[in-house]
Amino acid sequence: MATKPEKPAVPDEKLVRRSQRGDMVAFEELLARHRDKIYARAFSMMRNEEDAVDLSQEAWVKGWQRLKQFHGDSSFVTWMTRIVINLCLDQLRKHKRQRAESIEHLDQELGGVERQMPTVTVNPTEGLERSELRARIDRALKLLSHEHRTVLILHEFEDLEYKEIAKRMECSIGTVMSRLFYARRKMANLMASYKREEMG
Amino acid sequence: MNLEQQLELQAWVDGELSSADATRVAQFVGANAEASALVAELRMTKSCLVGNEPEVKLPESGDFYWSKIRREIERTARAEPEAATLSWAFAWRRLIAPLAGVAALVFIAVVSINQFQQPLVDDSAKNLVEVENLSEDIGSISYKSQAENMFVVYVYKKDYESESNLKSEPIDDGFFQ
Repeated sequence: MATKPEKPAVPDEKLVRRSQRGDMVAFEELLARHRDKIYARAFSMMRNEEDAVDLSQEAWVKGWQRLKQFHGDSSFVTWMTRIVINLCLDQLRKHKRQRAESIEHLDQELGGVERQMPTVTVNPTEGLERSELRARIDRALKLLSHEHRTVLILHEFEDLEYKEIAKRMECSIGTVMSRLFYARRKMANLMASYKREEMG
Repeated sequence: MNLEQQLELQAWVDGELSSADATRVAQFVGANAEASALVAELRMTKSCLVGNEPEVKLPESGDFYWSKIRREIERTARAEPEAATLSWAFAWRRLIAPLAGVAALVFIAVVSINQFQQPLVDDSAKNLVEVENLSEDIGSISYKSQAENMFVVYVYKKDYESESNLKSEPIDDGFFQ
């Protein structure tokens, strides 16, 4: 007996239109498709599961409330990602006012440390399986301060320009540039150190 | 190289420079080994990261996650009409208060003018020492001076607690539309 062909998935645009008319089943389907990505973005910025779950849920609630403002200029998941990024940035700003800065983080912010790091000339990720590369990137990202990690995420993973990052992070373009520079140099040196560890 | 030069190299790698600056920096990189090495490192780091963001899965079941979101959506949907009704009533009350104050002043002015212009037929007007307060938001203090044949009313707006919990949340876009 011939197997039935699978029904093609309803495109996001259609689900969004249904959701805009109040169809919560359609919205649930959108959530099911993209919840991991939205959660992952929140987690990469907050580095805390509980905060990431709370903020990603808040993003979905806001997404539902603001659906009528979505006009399809970008994809739905890009639009949702922007919502969760803004929520994470707000939360990080609140945290920054409350938390004491470690000496290391103050060093990072003051700058100058990145200029003392040796230039990495050999690609430390050559030959790595993708999963191993991602694991090392994750390990290195944990060691950055929130500010440096955020600017790296917004530039490298969200593909935002300096000007847009500065606007979102409420800082100058110069600050974005120096934080990005530090973050990249730190990442390169950390990846090189992991390679040295592996080689014994 | 100083930090400014290094940041300019980074901007060149990221395509953030104008074409004139990009040409100048490209020439500099071609002629400077230190700059060339730094550019190579920045490009290598960039290529490692792009497309290799660590994958993370939601740490709870999808159904549970959705149930919390759905509950919150329904809760805020219920709260919105109540807030809109109270907000409307609050706005209306704020309009009534100054209108009532104006009405009170007009009434007082009419009474006072009548007192000056017409001889009193009877003594009832001189016993008028209070003006009925038409609004709970407006207070009044009044007195009548027999000697001056004057009736004065001081009208003031009462302080009341602001209902900030009924304010609707400002829409925060924060990104390009």
